[in-house]
Amino acid sequence: MNLPNYFLADLPPEATFSPAMMEEACRALKRNREQYLAGRSTASLVRLLADVADNWLQSDYPFRQLALAEGPAATGFGAATLAAGLDGFFREITADKLNALIVQDLGHAQRLDSPAATPAEMKAQRAALATGPELIFHIAGGRLPNPALLSLILGLLSRSAQVLKCPTGGSFLPRLFAHSLYETDHKLGACLEIAEWRGGAGALEAVLFQTADCVTATGGDELLVDLRGRIPAGTRFLGYGHRVSFGYVTADAAAGNGARRVAAAAAADVVAWDQLGCLSPHVIYVETGAGHGGELLAELLAVELERRETVEPRGVPPPESAATIASRRGLYEVRAAHSPDTRHWASANSTAWTVVYEADPRFQVSCLHRFIYVKPVRDLAEALQSADAVRGRVSTVGLAAAEEQASALAAQLGRWGVTRVCPLGRMQQPPLAWRHDGRPALADLVTWTDWEQ
Amino acid sequence: MRGARAGDCDSTATRGAGRVIGTAVAENQPGSGSQNRMNEADTILGELAARSRGLMRPTLDGRPGRGIGEEAFGALALDLFAAQFAHNPAYRRLCQYRGVAPAKVTSWRGIPAVPTSAFKECELTCLSPERRERVFYSSGTTGQRPSRHFHDAQSLALYEASVWPWFAEHLLPESGGPLPALVALTPPPALAPHSSLVHMLATVGRMAGEVAFLGGIDPEGAWELSGERVLAAVTGKAAAGPVLILGTAFNFVHWLDYLAAGGVRLRLPAGSRVMETGGYKGRSRVVPKAELHAAITDRLGVAPECIVCEYGMSELGSQAYDGVAGRGGPGGGRLGFPPWARAVVVSPETGAEVAEGETGLIRVFDLANVWSVMAVQTEDLGGRRGAGFELLGRATPAEPRGCSLQSI
Repeated sequence: MNLPNYFLADLPPEATFSPAMMEEACRALKRNREQYLAGRSTASLVRLLADVADNWLQSDYPFRQLALAEGPAATGFGAATLAAGLDGFFREITADKLNALIVQDLGHAQRLDSPAATPAEMKAQRAALATGPELIFHIAGGRLPNPALLSLILGLLSRSAQVLKCPTGGSFLPRLFAHSLYETDHKLGACLEIAEWRGGAGALEAVLFQTADCVTATGGDELLVDLRGRIPAGTRFLGYGHRVSFGYVTADAAAGNGARRVAAAAAADVVAWDQLGCLSPHVIYVETGAGHGGELLAELLAVELERRETVEPRGVPPPESAATIASRRGLYEVRAAHSPDTRHWASANSTAWTVVYEADPRFQVSCLHRFIYVKPVRDLAEALQSADAVRGRVSTVGLAAAEEQASALAAQLGRWGVTRVCPLGRMQQPPLAWRHDGRPALADLVTWTDWEQ
Repeated sequence: MRGARAGDCDSTATRGAGRVIGTAVAENQPGSGSQNRMNEADTILGELAARSRGLMRPTLDGRPGRGIGEEAFGALALDLFAAQFAHNPAYRRLCQYRGVAPAKVTSWRGIPAVPTSAFKECELTCLSPERRERVFYSSGTTGQRPSRHFHDAQSLALYEASVWPWFAEHLLPESGGPLPALVALTPPPALAPHSSLVHMLATVGRMAGEVAFLGGIDPEGAWELSGERVLAAVTGKAAAGPVLILGTAFNFVHWLDYLAAGGVRLRLPAGSRVMETGGYKGRSRVVPKAELHAAITDRLGVAPECIVCEYGMSELGSQAYDGVAGRGGPGGGRLGFPPWARAVVVSPETGAEVAEGETGLIRVFDLANVWSVMAVQTEDLGGRRGAGFELLGRATPAEPRGCSLQSI
């Protein structure tokens, strides 16, 4: 890849960073922010972000071409999977949607520019200004680029200088995105730093914890607890823990002609980003009734996954993951050989996709890489009871239900603790304004100044 | 009521209450199959065991089983497959599910391998319940059901016949002369009757004269050892000559931690050696192998070439070693099974054997497994290294850990 050495992540892998380098980098970022970013208008930032996103959707955009050409080797995702994932993400980054996000999270499109008031506030003779952090330190986790890209976008909207630490081997796409911003607007690019180093580099991170006024992190509970203990009390910390997701299909939706459509939607959620995100389903729950037990849907899902594999082949998993899939398949094959309560379908001569049907409704964490469980339940109450062990850690439920039922089901899911309900087939395509793990992501970054006139 | 319902696959244990399945009647249950059939199984499997044992006898040069060629191995493997297909109902059902039967298999490499997880799910044995005198459990991590490998007197005798020559070849290679004193860091057989490792060490002890078991069991049933007691025992034995210390990796970590805490460094007599078998299973902190071996050399004074790794599991009757005490190994951590067991490394993607140097899952064909299943698919990752393999790690256990998010 022929990119200028602009970010730390551009340096060769053997490069090491010292705390002094990091301190200097932070000073420069803050300086650049003050000069080039702090005074920008929301409108200009929105326009710029929307333009960059639109570029990413063009097939001849060099950064997109680079992402699709070198991405498979760098990220482990196939080119078609990358293209679909990036398209889904950048289609959301439009001027309208960015403005709508600001209004949703901050109540007024100009809150970040100057004191502004909603009609209700005006009546009360009040106004308010939202100010973003001076420097945000993002600690990205996981295999998907979307959360990191979204963090950068929200950080820019809030006029913050940003350091993004990517997981080892995970900087490729964030780096390309940062370069695309830099190319569009050098000054804006000068307020970003993208880096990659192994976790536990305590001295480097200590510099950032001391210098940043907001830290965001995605990762396991253990990591979040550890980070919380190392971050100064006055620094805002936004931790996003691991989440799981599942699908829910009502008996009506699974019946008759709808079954094939539902299977295609479920397959889309399994195929997207090779099922490696928090929003990807581990299990598809199917309401039994109308003469079927969920096995039909499992079978149709297998057919659909096989079809999708030909057009959007899964990426190459690391050997440990392939071994885990092979071993799990072995287990379910043994169960299937001995009982009709377990059935399984799997790609031949590869671990590309696996469907396991189990009569036992207990929620099961999948080994992912397109390995999905289908489980029958009487109703949503049984599904939720069966998923009790992951209660509080469920992000998204993909719902296939008739319109008249959906509202009640969404309410039931919400009261149980699910933070996002969407149609099955769109689980990995949250809208820009979605509330990440139930929190308003942009609103969580800012600090308010209330002005009572 | 499982015994009475005669399900050969323990399908109730992992499923929700009230979902009882697997009610097929197994042929090896008393009263369900014919007495003739059981007699026939006894005869056939007894003959096969005798043939297997024949292969384990030392050849003229005194080396165990050197004379086994591809043909002899393949012939016995295929005969074992046919017999196990006929007399091990859980295995037969799996083969039938895969559409494989003895008539369709012409090479030992094509014999269907049973995943180790099947030893947790099913009663994978040709032995009728009243014949199952012993059972070895795998030492799985907490919360997981263990594998179960059933034995009777005959199958234990074959197990022991397989253990000793290959152990002696690697840990006691001296011909004639006094043997080192054997010390095991595990609990004794009376306290760990279901451990195949402990049974193996007891077997070795019997053959070599004696083994002192120094480990114990804590109130929760976990293995423990008193560092002080081990220190006293080893020091006592070492006063008379070389010692051979046998234990799991976590046994050694526990003891070495004790020695380090007290600042103790032993210099065991020349000829002393160590057999370490992998696996931590959450019983101590995990120490990389090179670090553990360096600590053994540092704290015990045992030279690196005198530290031998063993690879074994409750599902297998044979073990692999990575070198000969005092002479080191072939390098690269290469483990080798005895000639009556063969390991192949298969691609998790295709199930086909990987090329030299590549990584895959270790599959073992073990002719010492006569009354259970000869072909076992492990969940361990290995690199193919010539006729042997290098252990590269364990895949996440196949049996999903319920709702633990640690694995994602």
